[in-house]
Amino acid sequence: MRPTAHTWIVLICAAWPLLAQERRGQELENLLKRLDKDGDGRISAGEFPRGEERFRRLDRNRDGFLSRDDFPNVPGAKPEETAKPAAKEAAEPANFGEPTPADLDFFEKKIRPVLVKSCYSCHSVDSPKLRGGLRVDSREALLLGGASGPSVVPGDADASLLLKAMRYEHEELRMPPKGKLGDEVIADFERWIKMGAPDPRRDANPAAMPGAEEATATYRTIDIAKGKEFWAYRSPTAPAVPSVKNSNWPLNPIDHFVLAELEERSMAPAKDADKRVWIRRLSFDLRGLPPTPEEIEQFLKDQTPEAFEKIVDQYLASPAYGERWGRHWLDVARYAESSGKETNILFPQAWRYRDYVIDAFNADKPYDRFLTEQLAGDLLPTDDPDEQAQNLIATGFLAIGAKSLNTRDPRQFAMDLADEQIDTTTQAMLGVTVACARCHDHKFDPIPTEDYYALAGVFLSTETCYGTPRVQGSNHPRDLLKLPWTADVPDGPTMAREQRLVLTRLKERGEAQLSGEAPARRRPGQEQTPAGETPKPATPEERRQQQFRERTVRQQVGMLEDLLSRFDENGNPRPENRMAMGVREADRPRNAPLLERGELEKAKAPVARGFPQVLSGPLTPAIKKGSGRRELAAWITAPDNPLTARVMVNRIWLHLFGTGIVATPDNLGMSGQTPSHPELLDWLATTFVADGWSVKQMIKRVVLSRAYRMDSEFHPQYAEQDPEGIYLWRMPKRRLEGEAIRDAMLAVSGTLDAKRPVGSPVGTFEGQLRRQELGADPLSSLGPVRSVYLPILRDRVPEALDVFDFADPSFVTGDREETNVATQALYLMNDPEVMRTADAMAARLVRDGKTDDDRIRLGFALALGRSPSSQELATCREFLRQAGKDQKPVEAPPRRRRGAARRAETPPAADPKLAPWSSFCQALFQTAEFRYVD
Amino acid sequence: MSIDRLLPEDGCPAGPLMNTRRDVLRAFSCGFGWLAFRGLSGFESVLPQEDPLAPKPPHFPARAKRVIFLCMSGGPSHVDTFDYKPGLKADHGKAPSGRTRAGAKLFASPWEFRQSGQSGLWISELFPELGKLADKLCLLRGMHTDLPAHPQAALKLHTGSFQFVRPSLGAWTLYGLGTMNRNLPGFVTINPPSGQGGAQNYGSAFLPAIYQGLRTGGDRGAGMAARGEAREPVANIDNSRLSDAAQRRQLDLSGALNAERKRQDRQESGVEGVIQSFELAFRMQAEIPELLDLDKEPASVRTEYGLDDDETRGFGTECLMARRLAEKGVRFIEVNRGSWDQHRNLREDLARNARAIDRPIAALLRDLDRRGLLADTLVLWGGEFGRTPYAQGNDGRDHNHKGFTTWMAGGGVKGGFSYGATDDHGIEAVDGRTSIHDWHSTILHLLGLDHEKLTYRHAGRDFRLTDVHGTPIRDILA
Repeated sequence: MRPTAHTWIVLICAAWPLLAQERRGQELENLLKRLDKDGDGRISAGEFPRGEERFRRLDRNRDGFLSRDDFPNVPGAKPEETAKPAAKEAAEPANFGEPTPADLDFFEKKIRPVLVKSCYSCHSVDSPKLRGGLRVDSREALLLGGASGPSVVPGDADASLLLKAMRYEHEELRMPPKGKLGDEVIADFERWIKMGAPDPRRDANPAAMPGAEEATATYRTIDIAKGKEFWAYRSPTAPAVPSVKNSNWPLNPIDHFVLAELEERSMAPAKDADKRVWIRRLSFDLRGLPPTPEEIEQFLKDQTPEAFEKIVDQYLASPAYGERWGRHWLDVARYAESSGKETNILFPQAWRYRDYVIDAFNADKPYDRFLTEQLAGDLLPTDDPDEQAQNLIATGFLAIGAKSLNTRDPRQFAMDLADEQIDTTTQAMLGVTVACARCHDHKFDPIPTEDYYALAGVFLSTETCYGTPRVQGSNHPRDLLKLPWTADVPDGPTMAREQRLVLTRLKERGEAQLSGEAPARRRPGQEQTPAGETPKPATPEERRQQQFRERTVRQQVGMLEDLLSRFDENGNPRPENRMAMGVREADRPRNAPLLERGELEKAKAPVARGFPQVLSGPLTPAIKKGSGRRELAAWITAPDNPLTARVMVNRIWLHLFGTGIVATPDNLGMSGQTPSHPELLDWLATTFVADGWSVKQMIKRVVLSRAYRMDSEFHPQYAEQDPEGIYLWRMPKRRLEGEAIRDAMLAVSGTLDAKRPVGSPVGTFEGQLRRQELGADPLSSLGPVRSVYLPILRDRVPEALDVFDFADPSFVTGDREETNVATQALYLMNDPEVMRTADAMAARLVRDGKTDDDRIRLGFALALGRSPSSQELATCREFLRQAGKDQKPVEAPPRRRRGAARRAETPPAADPKLAPWSSFCQALFQTAEFRYVD
Repeated sequence: MSIDRLLPEDGCPAGPLMNTRRDVLRAFSCGFGWLAFRGLSGFESVLPQEDPLAPKPPHFPARAKRVIFLCMSGGPSHVDTFDYKPGLKADHGKAPSGRTRAGAKLFASPWEFRQSGQSGLWISELFPELGKLADKLCLLRGMHTDLPAHPQAALKLHTGSFQFVRPSLGAWTLYGLGTMNRNLPGFVTINPPSGQGGAQNYGSAFLPAIYQGLRTGGDRGAGMAARGEAREPVANIDNSRLSDAAQRRQLDLSGALNAERKRQDRQESGVEGVIQSFELAFRMQAEIPELLDLDKEPASVRTEYGLDDDETRGFGTECLMARRLAEKGVRFIEVNRGSWDQHRNLREDLARNARAIDRPIAALLRDLDRRGLLADTLVLWGGEFGRTPYAQGNDGRDHNHKGFTTWMAGGGVKGGFSYGATDDHGIEAVDGRTSIHDWHSTILHLLGLDHEKLTYRHAGRDFRLTDVHGTPIRDILA
């Protein structure tokens, strides 16, 4: 990302998101023209709607006006190019009106008999085996189509697969299979489709089930207009900053809102926290790491009022910031490197999305642009290969979700995939649970089922490239997106030598089996065949089994061949490995039929692609062509979308104050909590948009507030009055996340490797996750990297993170739990990595401190950011004295028990000189103070 | 420093001969062991005045000492399992009476029901093994709850509230009665789902953190169970380097530093929770590995629980683990089995679910009985709600919160008994209506706790599991 090229995009995105899709130069010209109210060909500060600071930044030549010259990086406007031929647009089901009796007569005479005679045996509800998931026995079924897409597009004969198949145009799709029907019949069908495919057959399935003929009745009718009155569905407007009695306290408008609520309840804010406490809080919040003793010293020494801002800027500029805040987004984006669910197939390229998110936060990519790239990056025009690569990788957001890859029915799979995308997109970006409306109107929010299917059409018109091969348990293989060869992206992680050998041997064994050189491994109990003799399958059943085995082996060999071909003989990735998970436009966009109760068999008429009505406003774009993802992004990032900005500022607040202004960050809807400070939320949201959706700016505002500077001191009376601390009479104490705890241990021991590893260990594998394939401990091969880079496999989250309430990667998780349980204690007591880290910290103390007291003090400074009290010092001295005497184990413990066997490595006993110090350091890791920020 | 020197100082009643590591750990873990630093610091004053896990007498004589809750999340269909509805069969295909979805059609259970045992309870053919134990079961057929949505109803079932963060039933039980084995967590939940309210379902909310459930099994989501995988029940259960004495000393140091901090900010349950978690972890090291080693069980028992069959192995393992935990004095054990949400594919999926649990639960009940544990172990079975007797699609049922069935067995309830009823079709509870609060109050009652007296003061008022509701069902008491 090049910040220079983005400054203007920020501006444009903030104001007119749709514009970002036009050509840059033209876009700029238009924008300037619009802002130029007095028509003098340049924009004065008065004409500029986005604040002086931004104006000054944009005004590069400092002439006091914005004009074309201030944007040297923007290519000159070109004449409007004819749009690239986009994916062919299927004709929308045109409105043909009610069929006339003559139309229906035509259907009854010419069409129905053919369908019944030639198609129903395989394509109706009574078919013994439904082929291709297609039914042709109702209008809805025809419109819905089967595995290959809609069968009939009313009015558009050429787009109708049914006709294509009847004409025998397609290599594989030829229907009926026994022989082509007469030309006359085919002409009838063509004429019928052009008429709009009049068809009286409604989807009813009387034989199968009571209830099949249910009306489309719903529990209630949803009143959208009334729904829009709910606070979260009204666009925020900037509220007036309230006045307060104690006008000395506020440092910025945020404080006015907080203090006003407190004063209304006769409470006073806590005193300012000690500077040591504040910098530790800030450091963990912004970087997920403790402040170094040097940073603390520096900060304490600096008595100027700018000291606070200086350290905030320093931390925000550190790459560790993106690793911290990127991870917050990854929680919401349910990031993981495997499919989870029944078969848990690996996603070897998922890590590119992870890195993209971290980079986006570090570059402070405007949040609206960030969302746009994740939804429609593939559709954003750019000639820059780096940007193109990033845009493609960003769409990984839609591809990394949990999937039931063993589902058999391709239509079911497609609907489930779209559902997962709807669920994640709406919860993550909008804080509403639209997916609840899949089977019935939303039970709490004004979201009718139609709205769900309007959105489903967008995703069904999108091809999701998650890149799993066809292997056992993975029935829906998909491509990955190829990244531009010239883009500046890593090829991928290096494959270990041993791994390459094992995989090569596996592949060769499979090939030998296929060529009949080696007998397939026999199951126990099967007869032994004399060597050299190929067993001859006797029964049809045995033959079938053998074919199945062969197919499985062939698939595995194919998968291994593909995997190995992407790495050279040294295990280094080849450029062929430059692929990413993501999405692209489907061959043909289509509208999703409303599925009553979410069932494929109950398809009703298609719903035009669009967006939930309750969240739509004048700026909501219409979908004219393509899947509609560009419009989806534009709708979500439109300034009048009531939720997007609120949801994000609430997430930011949550990570800085422990609880969101709305305590249910992924649900601002009617079943979510109401905001504790509604005006503050709206002030933050509108300010966020006015700031050009800058996340760093917003964080900076919040952490420089007086509210964030409060102490966490307990107040018995306030605690009675407001036990949850909802009105912020103090800063709550917060337990650190697993990442921060592990990273802090590594940091204070001096072993943290701050460099980003290339890729992920998962990136050198393919197929189903099995423990033995990944080795005993895939983490150790990575070394002491930041926790955000540990491989995140569904149902196999690294222990260090899992015990501390890691966000389950199968769900959108805006707010993690905070528990203190015995399994965490066991981890800090017994985990080998914890012990090795304590060893390293011990070595550091012994090296850097001259006396024992020095070393104890250094340990406290590193781990807790403070000095020990004299009593603590005495306690630690006594501990070291006793631990020093206890060199040998009191007993030889029977240390090989269940659980121990699994561990790949046992850390060697520490150096006897260091052993007491190592135990001391581990004790520091175990304290409550280490895992809490005040 | 020798062990012998430590012991008298600590006043631990353990004998002088400690041959096993378990003995050593037990000896070390009596009370809070700030052994090394006693007298050096003024920390005693902030140590817990009383052990929060110490056994407490019930309010009145208890009928059950412990609970095993077999939680079936997703909402198992009552009319296909334990609520026999001949009327539903007769009216198959007709519109249900009363206020239901427009156009709904009644859907007879695809399964037959049979009368079983002396009592002649009607139980679905889905449960052949459990059917044989009908005389042990006490069916509650008049259950109802507030909302037909999973997370809300699951939270209601576990905590009595879907709106607020409240302590779970297990946490209240542990708070009320303490533990019978201080070397184990008093509340264990095996394979809880991460959705449906997540950790709140076994959380302690405002109760001290020591009362929250320990999650084992690590199955987050249905995925692993579906793949027949299991994780290490509890990781990092022993130390590869430090001796027990050395580790004890280390924990004494971190404990002393924690105590110092706790002195500074008194009202922080976080610090208290950390302290307790380490003490418990230390003690757990003595018992857990052996306890969860199911290889120790005789082959016949393993077979009985279905450990040799792919379909029953997952849940069978958990049931067997539950019995071992119960035997060792764990107060509240929850065993979770998800995927009862049959909106579609009822015929296949419900049958598979039933197969997965039928044999293991029957084995659990028999095994408890053989060991004399069933008399004072309350076994609960149920989900957050039931399903509609009318169809969803052609092979499914929707959520139904107005009427459903749970059952109890063992500890003080009548066997071969059925309490409450839904209407002729099973839509709504009409007789012996039992709310979740009633259910909770009954469970507490069986444990010897008065649900109105079991309170905890928080934020200026006394909280109860049952809020201001709940009446114990006396009719089912044995």
